[in-house]
Amino acid sequence: MTTDSPAPATGIDPRGPRFGAGVTAVLLLVVIGLGLVGGTPATLLDRVGQPAFLLLAALTLVFAWGAFAGIRRHPYGVLFRVVVRPRLAPPSELEDPAPPTFAQGVGFVVALAGVVLHLLGVPFGLVGAAAAAFVAAFLNAVFAYCLGCQIYLVLARVGLVGKRGAAAA
Amino acid sequence: MTRPAELTTFLDMDAVTVAIALAGLVLAATLLGVLHRVSQGRARTVAGSPVVRLDGVVLGDRATLLQFSSEVCTPCRATARVLDDLAARVEAVAHVELDVARRPELASRFHVLQTPTTLILDADGAVRSRMGGAVRRDVVLAELERVLAA
Repeated sequence: MTTDSPAPATGIDPRGPRFGAGVTAVLLLVVIGLGLVGGTPATLLDRVGQPAFLLLAALTLVFAWGAFAGIRRHPYGVLFRVVVRPRLAPPSELEDPAPPTFAQGVGFVVALAGVVLHLLGVPFGLVGAAAAAFVAAFLNAVFAYCLGCQIYLVLARVGLVGKRGAAAA
Repeated sequence: MTRPAELTTFLDMDAVTVAIALAGLVLAATLLGVLHRVSQGRARTVAGSPVVRLDGVVLGDRATLLQFSSEVCTPCRATARVLDDLAARVEAVAHVELDVARRPELASRFHVLQTPTTLILDADGAVRSRMGGAVRRDVVLAELERVLAA
């Protein structure tokens, strides 16, 4: 999830990831709605066949795509470039792709947790994980909230990321 | 796995309950967003802070704008631009940016919970003001003037 390269010379349009977060938020809201209606059936086969589960599994793959292939190759990013951006004014400034790529990684972990919990038959596991991911995606889309600003710091403080050199930045 | 029948029934909600739950979730997220936005860039006065000495960091003669950043943080870039500009315009004030991934011990020492977090240190190196989130230029300038006047 982390990149070792410094900030690239060419950035991305900051509205791209926010557009993607909006699409993600709407789809997660659908997952939560379907999940609340469908509940947690007793048999594994019934749980796997549920629309809520299938949609969240698909979203998990999309998050993985954004996190591991990078936000530039994210399917919603492509949709934004092809369909939305030609209708907008050029961006006032470009942005580093590292923060939204990191956010995709966090989304992947949370969505994957929901998939696993649902497979295990944990009640509200799918809905809970989808709700957490929804809040993050919604805040990102509407308020330009930056997930990496908090979570990355926690990971750095517990020593999971960083510490590549002792020099001050 | 089997579970009690009443639990399964409880989870099978009707459409109205689901709609209310979804609306509640959107409302809660909106409130969270508004609270977050209001808290961004707010300055908090710090008093009685001990003098800090940071190895490898050269402080400004009169004051230092100490910014904690991370590479996955978008508002850190905008904050760095504002603080850089202020440090260039105000005499003997330095802007120092630290990467929390490289200096996690400093992030812990100053209880940094989000990036960017900006501390204003006085001439002695004591923390006098603290701002969480993206900074607002007018707020930083007012705090800086207060610290310089003291």
